[in-house]
Amino acid sequence: MRKDLMKAYETDASQLNGRALDVVHPKTVMEVRSIVAKTQRIVPRGAGTGLAGGCIPLNGLDVVLDLSKLNGIGSFDKERRTIEVGAGVILDDLQICLARNGLEFPINILNHNVCTVGGMIATDVGGSRMVKYGKISNWIKWIDVVDGYGNLHRKGVTELSDYVGMEGITGVIVRVCLKLLPLKKRTASLMKVENSEKVVSIVRDLKRNLNVSMIEFLDKKISVGMGLIEDYHLIVEYEDNSGLLKGREYEELMEMRNRIYSFVVGGSHVRIEDLKIMTDRFVKLITWLESVGIPIFGHIGVGILHPCFNRNQEKYIPEMMKFVKKLGGQISGEYGIGILKINLVDMNDKKILINVKKRTDPLNKFNVGKVI
Amino acid sequence: MILLNVLEGMMGKHKVSEADKIEANNLMEEVVEILEPCIKCGMCKSLCPVFRVLREEQVSPRGKAIILSEKILDKVVFECTLCKGCEQECPSDVKVCDAILKGREAMVLRGKGLKSDAERVREVWKGGNFFGKRD
Repeated sequence: MRKDLMKAYETDASQLNGRALDVVHPKTVMEVRSIVAKTQRIVPRGAGTGLAGGCIPLNGLDVVLDLSKLNGIGSFDKERRTIEVGAGVILDDLQICLARNGLEFPINILNHNVCTVGGMIATDVGGSRMVKYGKISNWIKWIDVVDGYGNLHRKGVTELSDYVGMEGITGVIVRVCLKLLPLKKRTASLMKVENSEKVVSIVRDLKRNLNVSMIEFLDKKISVGMGLIEDYHLIVEYEDNSGLLKGREYEELMEMRNRIYSFVVGGSHVRIEDLKIMTDRFVKLITWLESVGIPIFGHIGVGILHPCFNRNQEKYIPEMMKFVKKLGGQISGEYGIGILKINLVDMNDKKILINVKKRTDPLNKFNVGKVI
Repeated sequence: MILLNVLEGMMGKHKVSEADKIEANNLMEEVVEILEPCIKCGMCKSLCPVFRVLREEQVSPRGKAIILSEKILDKVVFECTLCKGCEQECPSDVKVCDAILKGREAMVLRGKGLKSDAERVREVWKGGNFFGKRD
C-alpha cells in the first residue's frame, strides 16, 4: 500500500497514533495464512472502532492485517440455530440476514452498524443485553484461528478463552460459528428515578425478572441531552409484554439509546471509559463523578458504566481508576486494555496473559506491545 | 481560457503557477479546519456506499478525513459519491463532503486532477454531452 494512504490505518477511535510498515487486505482465509506465515509482526484489525488502541501499529514495524474483506456470511443451520461468518462481517449486516429467517444474534452494542464480528470477539464485548445474554463468548460454537506459522486451527468451547477477549495477541480469528436465537418481540419502559439509591434498588428488582434483557442508565446530564427531564433515567427492555412502549414507540426509544454515543461525543466528551463495579457501589461512584462534573451512562444491570471525559477532565481519569479499584471494581469492562490501559493491568493478570501468549504465539508475532 | 487551464490542471499538464499553489494551500487549510472536529470514531463508515463495496479504510470517510487532515493530496479523494451519508451519521457534525470537494479542487489546482474527468469535460465542451457528439 502507498505510504501516504497507510495513515488511515495508523489510528482508530482511541485517537492514538502509530506507524505501520504495510497494510494488507486479504480476501480469503488462505490469503491470511500465507500473509501471516511470511510476516514478522502483525496487527489484526476489524472496523477500527476500539477505544483502547488495540489495532494501532507501533514503531513502523507492524503490518496491519485488515480483515474487513472476510465478510462472507456462510452456511446457516436453522435446526441447530448456528451460522458461520467471516471475521469481517458487520453486526448489522448479520442481523439483517438473520431477521429474514426469523432468527437473531442476541449481542447488541452501541456501534452495531460498523463493528465487525472479529473485533467483537477479540474484545469479548457484552453490550446492552449483557444482563440476560452475557458476553459474546457465550454465543460462540467454534472459531477458526490462524497461528504464527500460518496454520489454521478450529478451537471449540474449551479453548475459546485463549483467543476470545485477548485483543488479537494470540492469533488471527478468521471465521466463527455463532449461536442464534429465534427473533424476539421486545417491549421497553423508560423510568425516571429521583436519586441514586433508588436506582440501585430498582436495578436489583429488575435483575430478578428473567424477561428483562437490558437495563441502561442515563445520568442527569445525558438525560437532558436526550430531551428528557433533569433526573436519572433507566431504559429497561423486556422480552415479553411487560414494557409500556411497544412497536414504533419501542423503536423510537432504542433509537434514542443509539444516539447517546453521538450526543456524548458531539459534546466533546471524547474519552469514554468502561469501568465495572458492583451495583451496590454505584452510589459512591456516581457521587464522586457528579462532584467533578463527569457525565455517565452504561449497562448498569451488569455494572459496566461509561464515564465520559472531555479534554479538560482527562486529568481525573487516574484518580477515578484508583477510586474504582478501591471500590473493588475493574478498570476495563468491555473495551479492552489495548495500549491505553496497559499500565493499569494487575500483575497477577499480566503473568497469566504472558503465559497464554507464550503458549499460543511462540513467535511473538501478533499485536506486540498491546495488553501485556 | 479558464476552462483550458482547468482542463490542463485536471490532466496534470499545465505549469502550476504561484497563485494556484497559494490557492491550493488555502483550500487545504480550509480542509484541515473542516476536519478538525473529527474524533475518528468510524461511525461514518456505516452509510458510506464506497466503503461498503471496497471495504478498505482509506476509501472510508474516516480514512479520507485522516489523509486530508495530513494535507496529503491523493487520488483517493475522488473515490466518493458525495452522498453525505457519512455526515448523517457523524456525531461531531463534520462536513466530510465539503472537505472532499475542496481537496479535489486543490488537487486540480496543483495539476493532480483525474485524466478521465478532464476527458469528460472536454467531451462536454465539444459536443454538449459526455460522448462528445452533437447528435
